[in-house]
Amino acid sequence: MIRVEDIQKHFGALHVLRGITFDVQKAEAIVIIGPSGSGKSTLLRCINLLVEPDSGKVFIDGVHVNRHGIRHEWVRQQVGMVFQSFNLFTHLTAIENVTLGLTRVKGIPHDQAIEKARKLLARVGLAAKENAYPAELSGGQQQRVAIARALAMDPKAMLFDEPTSALDPEYIREVLDVMAALAREGMTMIVVTHEMGFASNVASRILFMDAGKIIEEGTAEDIFQNPKEDRTRSFVSKILR
Amino acid sequence: MTNWRKFLRDRWRYFDAALALAVIIGSLVYIYDLLVGSRGLDVAYITRNYPLYLHAVFTNVYATTIAFVVGMALGFSVGWLRTARTVSVAKFAASMRVEKRERQEAPSGSEVTRRLLVVLSLLWYGTKYVVRRIGDGFVEIIRGTPLYVQILFASSFFIVFLPQYASEGILIGIIALAINTGGYQAEIFRAGLQTVHSGQVEAARAIGFSRLKAMRYVILPQALRLIIPPLTNEYIGLFKASTFLFVLGVQSEISYIAQHEGFAGDVFEIFAIVTVIFLAITVTLSFVVQALERRFRIPGLGIEQVKLPRGVRIARVGG
Ligand SMILES: Nc1ncnc2c1ncn2[C@@H]1O[C@H](COP(=O)(O)OP(=O)(O)O)[C@@H](O)[C@H]1O
Ligand SMILES: [Mg+2]
Repeated sequence: MIRVEDIQKHFGALHVLRGITFDVQKAEAIVIIGPSGSGKSTLLRCINLLVEPDSGKVFIDGVHVNRHGIRHEWVRQQVGMVFQSFNLFTHLTAIENVTLGLTRVKGIPHDQAIEKARKLLARVGLAAKENAYPAELSGGQQQRVAIARALAMDPKAMLFDEPTSALDPEYIREVLDVMAALAREGMTMIVVTHEMGFASNVASRILFMDAGKIIEEGTAEDIFQNPKEDRTRSFVSKILR
Repeated sequence: MTNWRKFLRDRWRYFDAALALAVIIGSLVYIYDLLVGSRGLDVAYITRNYPLYLHAVFTNVYATTIAFVVGMALGFSVGWLRTARTVSVAKFAASMRVEKRERQEAPSGSEVTRRLLVVLSLLWYGTKYVVRRIGDGFVEIIRGTPLYVQILFASSFFIVFLPQYASEGILIGIIALAINTGGYQAEIFRAGLQTVHSGQVEAARAIGFSRLKAMRYVILPQALRLIIPPLTNEYIGLFKASTFLFVLGVQSEISYIAQHEGFAGDVFEIFAIVTVIFLAITVTLSFVVQALERRFRIPGLGIEQVKLPRGVRIARVGG
């Protein structure tokens, strides 16, 4: 479903991604872990072209997307993204956050968009909050609206960039539950997270990244219990505490 | 005892307004006493001349409003331009060096396409850089010189280059005011646009919005709410500054009165008429804007309402 081939990315003189290659099968959920600054966010952004890779190829559903003649706006509708800081549109209610892309990007009529948005809000457990503004919602609720907003575009895959690390502990569960349900329903997902429970239960594979490279790849058991590389071992020992 | 406190708390807004009004009226009465004193108010002068003044002020309202709207388009464009990121020459050179090194380490692609890409990016960043600096220069010139001089400058520009329009005082005035407020509004818009969190744009882009649509549906609605107060200030400032247009012969009624009736004896009457008209307009405007702000306030953001918290005690002097 998603394939990245030898992605390179610089910011000025900073070499952030140094040749990343991996595959994600349809309906597979993978988790990426790695120290801060190792390039995880940049990698996700390269996949939906919020950041343009310097070289290398990105394929989505078999289509080579980072080449001339492909509209970035089209590519981004194929891949939903959920951010660490939610980034809900502050001036819109929960349901308007979900419908905005439907009406203004996809050109779907307003009442159809509302109907779809209601279903999605119900799916993330927020049917009762459709008229609340982001500032009136808890962090966990905001993040679930953000998931509904991304799902509204009918993406073929979803990218999650540390979706729970800005949340108070009591709200982490509800967001992870929504994500786990999504994975069970067969959504293709790439999740950057340090939630070990989620990684063990939901992810089919875990990639460990450091300094712009994938250092090690394996099942939760491989990575958490028997890491092969020293760097993986020392990182895992820090987050498993 | 507690009753009047409650009364005071509930009606505080009205006391507030009443106090402001008392200050205004008090100052007017004082000035009235200074200037008119025992000679008595020349009511006949006021009834005879107020339509002229009214007309003169409404010419200003008209000129100000058109200039403000035109200036808004200008200000938004320049303000938006000034939020554009430009790449410094040093940074551009650095990334070129990186590119060159990598190419030597691992050659890829043809030399021709590479050269073409370098030239294209140089053109793109170069144009951005130059246009951006023009915007910066515009804002500095407008902010750094007196409006009065700008108006005279516009007037002489017309006399030299477009003499057939040189006598159209109101046209020249509106153009000068529009350019002036454009410079100030550019800064207001820039601040407003930059205050909207970058994550908002990113989220919009991530669901497939183009830059333009993200601006229209996500950034502008938030930025406009933020800049209502400074834009109101700018309008009121421009309105008052529009009195400078007299140098272009715009409020000719007033010059006419000055010549034929003389100002000297009726200073207070003139002052009173103009003050009342200006105040009526600006105060109405600020009420309208306050209503707008309440209407467009985003629930849960900012301070809900100015309310005295429960149990606040009004300090008693010497108590
Ligand atoms: N837009 C950008 N401009 C310049 N540097 C950036 C930008 N985005 C990320 N970086 C840098 O790239 C490196 C990797 O960042 P990131 O991908 O956010 O890492 P992670 O998500 O793993 O913490 C960091 O050193 C960061 O400062
Ligand atoms: Mg990150």
